[in-house]
Amino acid sequence: MNVITRGVRNAFRNNIRTGSIVVILGLSIALALSMLLAHQAVGKKIDNVKGTVGNTISISPAGFRGFNGGGGNPLTQTQIDSVSKINHVSSVSESLSDRLTSSNTNLVSSIDAGALGRRFASNGSGSGTVSIGGNAPDLANFTPPVTVVGTNDPTNLDSAGGGTFTLKSGQIFDGASTANVALVGSTLATKNSLVVGSTFTAYGATIKVAGIYGTGNTFGDSQLIMPLATVQTLSSQPGDITSATAKVDSIDNLASTTTAIKNSLGSSADVTNDQTTTQDTISSLQNIKSISLYSVIGAVVAGAVIIFLTMLMIVRERRREIGVLKAIGASNLKVIGQFMTEAVTLTVLAAIIGILIAIVAADPITKTLVNNSTSNSTTTSVTLFGAGAGASVSVSGGPAAGGGNFVARGRGLGRVGSSLTNIHAAVGFSIVIYGLLAALGIAIVGSSIASWTIAKVRPAEVMRSE
Amino acid sequence: MLKVEKLTKSFSSGGNTVTAVDNISLEVDDGKFVSIIGRSGSGKSTLLSLLGTLDKPSSGTIELGGQDVTKLRDHALIKYRASSIGFVFQSYNLVPNLSAIENVMLPMEFAGMAKSERRPRAEQLLEQVGLDETKQQRRPGRLSGGEQQRVAIARALANKPKLILADEPTGNLDSQNGKMIFDLLHQLSKKENTTIIVVTHDSTIAGKTEKTYELLDGKLKGKSK
Repeated sequence: MNVITRGVRNAFRNNIRTGSIVVILGLSIALALSMLLAHQAVGKKIDNVKGTVGNTISISPAGFRGFNGGGGNPLTQTQIDSVSKINHVSSVSESLSDRLTSSNTNLVSSIDAGALGRRFASNGSGSGTVSIGGNAPDLANFTPPVTVVGTNDPTNLDSAGGGTFTLKSGQIFDGASTANVALVGSTLATKNSLVVGSTFTAYGATIKVAGIYGTGNTFGDSQLIMPLATVQTLSSQPGDITSATAKVDSIDNLASTTTAIKNSLGSSADVTNDQTTTQDTISSLQNIKSISLYSVIGAVVAGAVIIFLTMLMIVRERRREIGVLKAIGASNLKVIGQFMTEAVTLTVLAAIIGILIAIVAADPITKTLVNNSTSNSTTTSVTLFGAGAGASVSVSGGPAAGGGNFVARGRGLGRVGSSLTNIHAAVGFSIVIYGLLAALGIAIVGSSIASWTIAKVRPAEVMRSE
Repeated sequence: MLKVEKLTKSFSSGGNTVTAVDNISLEVDDGKFVSIIGRSGSGKSTLLSLLGTLDKPSSGTIELGGQDVTKLRDHALIKYRASSIGFVFQSYNLVPNLSAIENVMLPMEFAGMAKSERRPRAEQLLEQVGLDETKQQRRPGRLSGGEQQRVAIARALANKPKLILADEPTGNLDSQNGKMIFDLLHQLSKKENTTIIVVTHDSTIAGKTEKTYELLDGKLKGKSK
């Protein structure tokens, strides 16, 4: 038997006390590890959000407000190419919006004109057959046009109106395609009895249905999505772009990149971003990150205090035994080593329990923290993004009937709320190492005063108490 | 030989100086069985602490085998205690969660004895004090007072010390067990040629030792035999 064995055995002298200490200390370590995992998960999420959500800059022709008014000249490919070369711009997606009426398609809109549609048709604000046909408005038989969006980034489609793009059947075409293919909104497909493989006519050409999608949004489900090059060719608008979205590598670079784009495009384009809104949302995560860090420190300190008080109590209780050990030849180092081993044994047992609890509890704790802390801000964000999306419709050329349009900006913002709460505290091997290191640290710090007390115990005291 | 010269130990207590051991000198030959008697508070236990190097004297010297132990530094004192002194306490002071044999092996470990030698030596000592194999594996809580004191004596003998200091070794035992422990100590002092100093207030026991010193208010009043 040696110092280590005796120290380990001493840890089990009183099973009830050992059990209680281990459970309390284990909960403390579990809290520390859970908070550490939450801290890591939230940190990763912040980095991820900064690099993927809200890091877009919308570019539209200056003064252009879609089919709802405004004017200006479309953006050109040269302008977009110059934007692509600006620092921190990781990609630029482009789109061209247009409308199809009975004069250039056999499709019938799935949207009922209603009072709003007829009002916009009557005041000639750029809606429906009125402006396109150049004839007096036939309000009684007015049918909203079918919006077609040409895009070079069909894999990043989503509805700015709050809906989420879901491909229901078929497949998404290639962004660089020049083929006469289209993705058809589900209500538009139903209205016109279209399925994957069906054809319809637009701009005098036969278009094949490549896929059917849904968004849960009435306007979104009544649109057509086609390759950008195809729409530019068929609508005789070669090289024209009515909306572009530049993606920035991190939200941290959003402001400077926006300025750079504005400087590059000058007065020919309106350049906007949603930095403030996204940063407000991220700030809630930053708060959780800070809280979790303080909790880690607090839990580790609490653990050290628990083991400190425990060891102090044990040393006081065994003062005579320490005196006896010293009297029969034990050095301070051996006695301290024995008590340190006892402290390490207790904390390692607690660490094992703590790690097991943390494995089970870390994810729910993280989610609860994130859900509680972001519920207010995400609610606000979603509302704001909804409003932003509405504005985006006008900017990007959506019809007066309202609703969303298919642009990358809408996609990003629409997903911020759900993205923030979609956090997983991943438990890896490193957490076991952290747990054991925490236990070791707690044991050393917590038993240091006890060790000092041991060193101060004089062997003669055992004789005096006889 | 144990040679004590002008040994004094003073404490500060409440602003006053208390002299627990006052200018004591004595000599004890090797293998002698000696008793120190005195009333409670007479300084018996303080003297025993000084002789066992558990405490440092205010002045004076203690020589054991020609070595002045009062000049030893703390680290050397630990080694000295482990190899040269054995203690037997009134309340046994065995480590409760170790078995009898593990308690006896403890000072051997502290003295640096090889692991392979410890167990046979402990078994031999426990047999010598009359503890059978079954009881050797028991923890102190499952042994009687007399048996625990026998384990304590075996522990004191573990490193073949020159001096065994026993503080009221029969104080917690009935007369029969007390006599048995006394006889055992007496027998060991002869067999192992170990000097044994027993502190007691039992004059019957003191009367059976080879030499008896009496302490009064920290001073050696006299010796008999």
